[in-house]
Amino acid sequence: MRTCRELGIATVAVYSDADRGALHVRGADEAYAIGPAAPSQSYLDAERLIAVAKRTGCDAVHPGYGFLAESADFAQAVSDAGLTFVGPPAAVQRALGEKTSARRLAAAAGVPVAEGTMEPLTDEAAIRAVAERIGYPVMLKPAAGGGGKGMRIVRSDGELAGAYRGATGEGRTAFGSTELLVERLIERARHVEMQLFADGHGRVVWLGERDCSVQRRHQKLIEETPGPSVDERLRGLLGDAAVRIARASNYRNAGTAEFLVGPDGSFVFLEMNTRLQVEHPVTELVTGLDLVALQFSVAAGEPLPFEQEDVTRRGAAIELRVTAEDPHAGFLPTGGTVSLLREPSGPGVRVDSSLYPGMAVPTEYDPLLAKIAVWGPDRDAALRRARRAVRETLIGGVTTTLPFHAHVLSEEEFSAGRYDTGYVEGHWPAAIGAELDGSAAAAAAYGLVLGRTSGTTRVRPAPDSAWARAAREGALR
Amino acid sequence: MRYAVDLAGRRLMVETGTDGRFLVDDEVVTIAARPLGKDHWSIACQGRSHEVAILGRDPLRVWVDGVEVRAAVTDERALAAAGRDASASGSQHEIRAPMPGLLKAVHVAVGDTVERGDAIATLEAMKMENELRSPERARVAKLAVAAGTKVEGGALLAVLVSAD
Repeated sequence: MRTCRELGIATVAVYSDADRGALHVRGADEAYAIGPAAPSQSYLDAERLIAVAKRTGCDAVHPGYGFLAESADFAQAVSDAGLTFVGPPAAVQRALGEKTSARRLAAAAGVPVAEGTMEPLTDEAAIRAVAERIGYPVMLKPAAGGGGKGMRIVRSDGELAGAYRGATGEGRTAFGSTELLVERLIERARHVEMQLFADGHGRVVWLGERDCSVQRRHQKLIEETPGPSVDERLRGLLGDAAVRIARASNYRNAGTAEFLVGPDGSFVFLEMNTRLQVEHPVTELVTGLDLVALQFSVAAGEPLPFEQEDVTRRGAAIELRVTAEDPHAGFLPTGGTVSLLREPSGPGVRVDSSLYPGMAVPTEYDPLLAKIAVWGPDRDAALRRARRAVRETLIGGVTTTLPFHAHVLSEEEFSAGRYDTGYVEGHWPAAIGAELDGSAAAAAAYGLVLGRTSGTTRVRPAPDSAWARAAREGALR
Repeated sequence: MRYAVDLAGRRLMVETGTDGRFLVDDEVVTIAARPLGKDHWSIACQGRSHEVAILGRDPLRVWVDGVEVRAAVTDERALAAAGRDASASGSQHEIRAPMPGLLKAVHVAVGDTVERGDAIATLEAMKMENELRSPERARVAKLAVAAGTKVEGGALLAVLVSAD
């Protein structure tokens, strides 16, 4: 919406009952209610969304990066209604959205894929047979999936039944499909993805990689570019692979090819994200491009205004995802109302946030609250800036992942760029908690005593764990 | 009033006098606070400038110059009471829903013995399945909610009794 405002494009927002006060509503020129908080009755209701677009005289629909952004049916419905879909066309979404189909396409284009199934499977016995053929450990994924949902690591035959149940269950809830994919698990790998853009006039360019290895539950927490493990040669290979997949699928608009890079520098294609991604700001920060503006111009049928050689990357960028999750309780989602808020600013800091004071964090949606993205002339400068930005950030009333970010940014291995997808498991919770010097501790104690004595506030002995907390709450009821 | 303040791995015994004096571990500290909003202060302490905010009370979380730590404040009476509590009910765990959601599955039966880290139930919230695990080796004493039920945040799901 910020991009649209800059381009002079009028915008129409839609919102569910839970999002009446949301920032995207305030940022738009017009806003319409589309139903209750439950996504199935609002943000996933394609018919209702298209009706609003038609009624308000929209020319185009931008699906964002959640909900229907990767739905081929939605892209089709939008274009059938005579509107422009700002993203890859339905045919591309169809070819790349289903993971085994994307694997077949990549393999045919000469891009390496992890050993595993090339067709979707629904039957537990068939999955077991494939797992035994390629050997444990394996990864089970909903074939229709994305965003890490429903993925399960299976280390032995005994774990398969439980993983099958979990993956099909989450697949059904999140994607309406129980089809699964099995592939060999690559351990100690880094999750590196390549941003690409195709204009539908034969020009396909890659814009640079992002290392997204810092994940919990296969979902990203920190993304950075350049990838600390990626040299010029590997960058070129990943870029070339992404372009080949894009050409093979007649790709159009923004997309991201995800890869796993092994400790030896070898890589396999994972999947294609046929949309703009949450972490696109880091690529914008180093390339100076506005990817959303490019999405609009490509969707309008214009050619890309630059060639591969024109793309330059300057410095380093890091994005931290601030989510409503308790990093001290296994990243369980939390709720709450934002009681205090100060977002970071200053040189090289960009904040894409949904937060406002008094906001009740909706529990119906993804827990992402804000993205703090920083740029620096090199990785060390970006790290220092990220630490400074986290220090400035103040969010009260909601438990967030900020303490996790504060720890990781000063942790030795991350600071040195030595990390892979097992990083969070190996480095969190922190062995040593945050420290305060005498003066800071005294000030904190003073604040706590003031907070205790001011009016209606109530402070009780704090818990050692979520369990103790729950027990204490029970005792007070 | 005297309080024990636990934070960042240390315990400070603090005392506020009626004359405005503030004592930390029996030493007078020069300190002055200027409120910036509810639960938010600029605090000058012995010539140093600090910013302090209380982020949440359950659990108690305090923010000092960008560092977020868990804390506990106990007055002398509560300290004594907590001591009595600990001896009376140290062995029981209530498993509660950390947030509203759908209880997808219950993996144990009453009477089962579970190990530390075993999954007790699966709660689906925010489109994700979360395993609620046992904090220690324990026996399942009570199951309060059946699989397939929508639960509120904080709802009691199970009671475990320490097996050791």
